[in-house]
Amino acid sequence: MSNLPLNINFAQIFMHLLNFLILFAILYFVLYKPVRNFMENREKTYRDMDDEARDNLRASEETKAQYETKISEAESEISQMKQKSRQEIEKNRDSQLQAAKDEAERIIREAKAEATREKDRIISEAQAEISEMVTDATEKLALQATAGEAFDQFLDAVDLAEERGSKHEQ
Amino acid sequence: MDKKQKKTMLIIFGVIAAVLLAGIFLTSGNGGEEESVQVVMRDAVLHDVNKVNFLGMEVNPGLVAGFVTSGILIIAAILIRIFVIPKFTMVPGKFQMVLETLVGYFTNLGKTNSPHLNRLMGGYIFAAGAYIFTGTMLELFGIQVVTTGGHSVSMPAPLSDINGAIMMGCTSYLFILTGGIAAHGLKGILKTLKEFSLPISMSFRLFGALLSGALVTELVYYYTALSYVVPVIVGVLFTCLHALIQAYVLTMLVSIFYGEVSEPDVPKLKTKKVKAVKA
Repeated sequence: MSNLPLNINFAQIFMHLLNFLILFAILYFVLYKPVRNFMENREKTYRDMDDEARDNLRASEETKAQYETKISEAESEISQMKQKSRQEIEKNRDSQLQAAKDEAERIIREAKAEATREKDRIISEAQAEISEMVTDATEKLALQATAGEAFDQFLDAVDLAEERGSKHEQ
Repeated sequence: MDKKQKKTMLIIFGVIAAVLLAGIFLTSGNGGEEESVQVVMRDAVLHDVNKVNFLGMEVNPGLVAGFVTSGILIIAAILIRIFVIPKFTMVPGKFQMVLETLVGYFTNLGKTNSPHLNRLMGGYIFAAGAYIFTGTMLELFGIQVVTTGGHSVSMPAPLSDINGAIMMGCTSYLFILTGGIAAHGLKGILKTLKEFSLPISMSFRLFGALLSGALVTELVYYYTALSYVVPVIVGVLFTCLHALIQAYVLTMLVSIFYGEVSEPDVPKLKTKKVKAVKA
């Protein structure tokens, strides 16, 4: 059948080749390709799911960031409002304190004025009383003693009246 | 294990031992009385004695083994295509997992060794790997064919036939050549022709490896006394191992060379000559 060494036979080689090519074509189209396509489709499905999940995660992270920004803005607004209200409270307190001080000063001032008036009134009353006492004493002396004695007594009474007056002033 | 089970086991072992002993003593002590071991070995290498009639032609048993291997694989592929693949699920079952592992292995082998061009190559190495593995495993079953001389011989691995091995080596080389042409056009032919020793080395590597397995198996089965127990270790393990190893080696070599010839050219960097500035 063949003169080549090792019993090499081209006809049989071609038959082996035909056999293998048919096998290759059938295995490729019937088994290999469908299984590979299934695996690639599944991989694509999972990749799409992964991408979708990643997109969702990114979107949720963006939403979270937005909410965090809003929260931080709200917090800063709250702190500003707190500061403002604290300032208003301090301002009110200062104004109330000032008003209380003014009221106290006014009360003190009025009390002082009242005291001064009262003092003047007492002094004038005391002076009137003294002069009345002096008049009474003078009348009595004039009726009971001589003129010289009377004059001395009059002087004593004046001294006494002055001494009392100075005590009152003190 | 209770007493009844022990008794059953002992009976089974006794029957097996009796059958084996009967086989050893009742069969002819020398075995292979029609051919000497030298003739068997020579025929395993050259296939010049035992021929098989195929469509009126006298062919080597290896060619018939090739057709049987292809037949088994094609029927299995069609059955899987009809009954299994349409029922594939997103979470694979056991058989789907096996199929996906096989296809995924060859696809990844192609992608790893030939990242630029690998769609068809994955299919080629899948088919070549399946053919080599299944054909070699066919030796284990000892399927008998009748020769033109009226003898019965067990079917060898298709690639232990030199014609089958040459076909596989040359086809793989031509496939690598198509990769070179697909990637670089006519320049790809030159790239592939540089590896002119590849078809010879691939053919004879396959032939030598598979022939050695066939020879050892023939030798073991030639003597009747060696046909008991020894084939379990020598026949089964040796056949399984070299079926796996040869399928792996050829597919790996094809993918590596295919990747090499289909690799895109790296553009040469233009170096500007800097004129010496005169001081």
